[in-house]
Amino acid sequence: MAYHKPTYLFLFLPILLLIYQIAPRKFRRGVLLGAGYLFFWSISGKLVLYLIGTTIFTHYIGICLELQESRKKKRLVLAGGVLLLLGVLGYLKYYNFFAENISRMLEAAGSGMIIPARHLLLPIGISFYTLQAISYIADVYWKKIPAEKNLMKLALFLGFFPQIMEGPISTYGQTAEAIFRCDPLRLENLSSGAVRILWGLFKKIVIADRLYTLVQAVFDNHENFGGVIVFIAATAYTAQLYMEFSGCIDIVIGSARMFGVKLPENFRQPFASRNAAEFWRRWHITLGEWFKAYVFFPVSVSGPVKKWNRYGRKKFGKYITKAGASAMALFPVWLGNGLWHGARWSYIFFGMYYFAVLMAGIMAEPVRNKIIKTLHINEDASWFKALQIGKTWIIIIIGEMFFRANGLRAGIQMFQSMFGRPSGNLMTLGLDTADYVVILYGCAVVGLVGILRERNLLDGHMLRNLKLPVRWAIYYGLILAVLIFGAYGVGYQQVDLIYAGF
Amino acid sequence: MRAFRRCVLFFVILILMLYGLSQIVNVLVKSGSDLIQSRNKSIAGIQNEKEDSVDVLVLGDSESYTSVSTVKLWNQYGTAAYIGGQAGQNIQETYYMLRTALQNQSPKIVVLETNVLFREQKGVKGIQEGLIQKANYYFPIFRYHDFWKPVLFGKEYAEESFKGFMLRETVESYKGGEYMKETKEKDRISEMVKHYMDEILELCKEKEVSFFLYSAPSPVNYNYRRHNALKEYAREIGVPYEDLNLKAKKIGIDWEMDTMDRGDHLNLAGADKVTEYLGRIWKETFDLPDRREDPEYSQWQKEAREYTQRAEYKLQRMHK
Amino acid sequence: MNTKDTLLDILNDIDDSIDWKEQKGLVDERILDSFCVITLISDLEDAYGVEIEAAEMIPENFNSVDAIWDMITRLQEKL
Repeated sequence: MAYHKPTYLFLFLPILLLIYQIAPRKFRRGVLLGAGYLFFWSISGKLVLYLIGTTIFTHYIGICLELQESRKKKRLVLAGGVLLLLGVLGYLKYYNFFAENISRMLEAAGSGMIIPARHLLLPIGISFYTLQAISYIADVYWKKIPAEKNLMKLALFLGFFPQIMEGPISTYGQTAEAIFRCDPLRLENLSSGAVRILWGLFKKIVIADRLYTLVQAVFDNHENFGGVIVFIAATAYTAQLYMEFSGCIDIVIGSARMFGVKLPENFRQPFASRNAAEFWRRWHITLGEWFKAYVFFPVSVSGPVKKWNRYGRKKFGKYITKAGASAMALFPVWLGNGLWHGARWSYIFFGMYYFAVLMAGIMAEPVRNKIIKTLHINEDASWFKALQIGKTWIIIIIGEMFFRANGLRAGIQMFQSMFGRPSGNLMTLGLDTADYVVILYGCAVVGLVGILRERNLLDGHMLRNLKLPVRWAIYYGLILAVLIFGAYGVGYQQVDLIYAGF
Repeated sequence: MRAFRRCVLFFVILILMLYGLSQIVNVLVKSGSDLIQSRNKSIAGIQNEKEDSVDVLVLGDSESYTSVSTVKLWNQYGTAAYIGGQAGQNIQETYYMLRTALQNQSPKIVVLETNVLFREQKGVKGIQEGLIQKANYYFPIFRYHDFWKPVLFGKEYAEESFKGFMLRETVESYKGGEYMKETKEKDRISEMVKHYMDEILELCKEKEVSFFLYSAPSPVNYNYRRHNALKEYAREIGVPYEDLNLKAKKIGIDWEMDTMDRGDHLNLAGADKVTEYLGRIWKETFDLPDRREDPEYSQWQKEAREYTQRAEYKLQRMHK
Repeated sequence: MNTKDTLLDILNDIDDSIDWKEQKGLVDERILDSFCVITLISDLEDAYGVEIEAAEMIPENFNSVDAIWDMITRLQEKL
């Protein structure tokens, strides 16, 4: 039961709203929590026990942290809690990957020993709720929040049904209170939530699912393609991923909104970014923030980095010291980011790719600034902006190509073939002219909305201030667009959510 | 209160729009089968058949339309049959196919190929499929939402078929040998499937239509465990059942020549043999009229003649 | 003991073209990016003899000269 499926939209959500509304206020929390576990169960069956176990464990660790007086013991509890959470995630998600690679290494070393693969079932959303649990423990440790005494409140925070599959990853301070409050339903929330859901469906069903055919055709048979068509496919995948992930997050945020909960935004017009660093502040924002708060900063105030700062200052000067310290703090972030997506070399490569790109950005900064100064370039000139955005697009598209490719080797081959002899024909990839037209118009609509948002011309209030007929025309237009131009039913494949796999 | 009324108004207008669009789409469906995509062709087709012209309605997945030949039925027994099968049809689709067909047809018998019954449709997936098919039935705009492709871009999906039967001439032998090994074990038919079957039988009873179950010969899809399950189920619901997997030899299925994909589906030659056997049973048991001399069926006759020629030509090629 | 002026010296050392005292959104407006903050931390620790922990790494502590100064004095009191 994914968020874009009829069962969720026309059964689960409406019935839940109804029960929630009818239920006396004191039972509403139970209704929400039950809904979360039911949702989880509908996808992962009895693996819901992992979520429940994680919740109880996290609750216990939080209380332990508060009871401990000495800093040393506190650290021990923190480390124990985080390691166990990561351990479960790591075991379920990465065991086979490491077993396979170690076996291969042993084999190369002449040993016949093989670490057998295991059939491990991954509970849905484990990569998301584990991060939330860790952030809760860390925040308690840092005393940003008090430990939660109420197990129900923590359970709701970790098992809030809209967030289960794909995030957004929120911190305890951001959402726990609002979910726990269980406000009564309000028409205003219901309607703005519904519009948000519609918008997400438009992105997912009209654009992303239509692009899927093309992307799959090229990536799954990449040997047959070369030249510009590979680049087009990589671009198509980038668009598919964005439309799908951000579309799904729209549905998630809209759903939460109906219950009066404001979830943190996960995207902020990422394709308007002027460099890779900015892109990651606008794309999958909550993951980036998580890594920043719980990996980047802790590492950057850790002993080794501080030591390096002092040492480097004396020996190498400011430039190298800063670059070195940045690398030390950035490396674990991007290794983690790559691995978080899954146990595959291409994901690790994806992380390292952005590590390299960001490091290059830091290293080149002084030179860049000098060039801009000597040439008297106005950094705010639109041609310069366009150039920067174009460059960023290319970086993103290449990155996503490696991300999607069936293995690192395939990724490298595709990258090379991009510069090779062109082969392949856009009209034989399963899409016809009609499909391309819909995709282009769809992207244009999303792009236009993005531009309006970027210029602050569009926000939730604007829609509400429109005259009723205009507003309704927009709603009907969206509904009919999804209904008529959606890639569903006969002649289309059902496309699962990409990020639910992480 | 004002807000609530507004809300109701919004949805009333929406439903009117869906209804209107569905009417428009229905006009399109009636205008030609080339505008309809593969899996929708058979359901669009049955809506276009002349009222009360179909005597036998065959339902099921691909096993249905590869095992019953409407051409053969017509030529040998004068039986007017239509195949409302769809690739991978699930029980919910079977049910709504039947409801759609019964809107302007009153067949003597409804025949179901049994492979559908083993598509479990359990849990959330089954509920969802039911929901989708219901929406498709009441608002055809959902089913035919791609209508803008032929209308705006002239896209066509040509396919040659006679009353839902296509002439398949591919030959790929099945070499697995005997597959119906006797056992006491039994496969399961899910509750969801049984629920829809009850609805189907209820509908047939209401319209006074007989019901008939058969299993097409297919080593890939059938075995004795399924046979046991089906036999028991047929007795339970009190419906005649023919398992042709046990009679493959009797009706003369030659696994060298009569299958198109190594024992999954039959080809034209295989379908002819199955049809000859089933056609006789139907004709005799249900007292079906011979429509060949009926002036109402002159168009049917004309088309059948065309397809007969093509079928003969293809059969010759297959056996070279 | 080092004073607030030392803080300005440290900041000017990072970039002397910025009027640090006037800025109220050093982090929010990205005048100080996270990489600058890393080196800044060590400088502050050395100059004021405090220890800055991960828990302090929030934008509110670095958004203005006053905010940074508040954090330092707070940490000094702890010692």
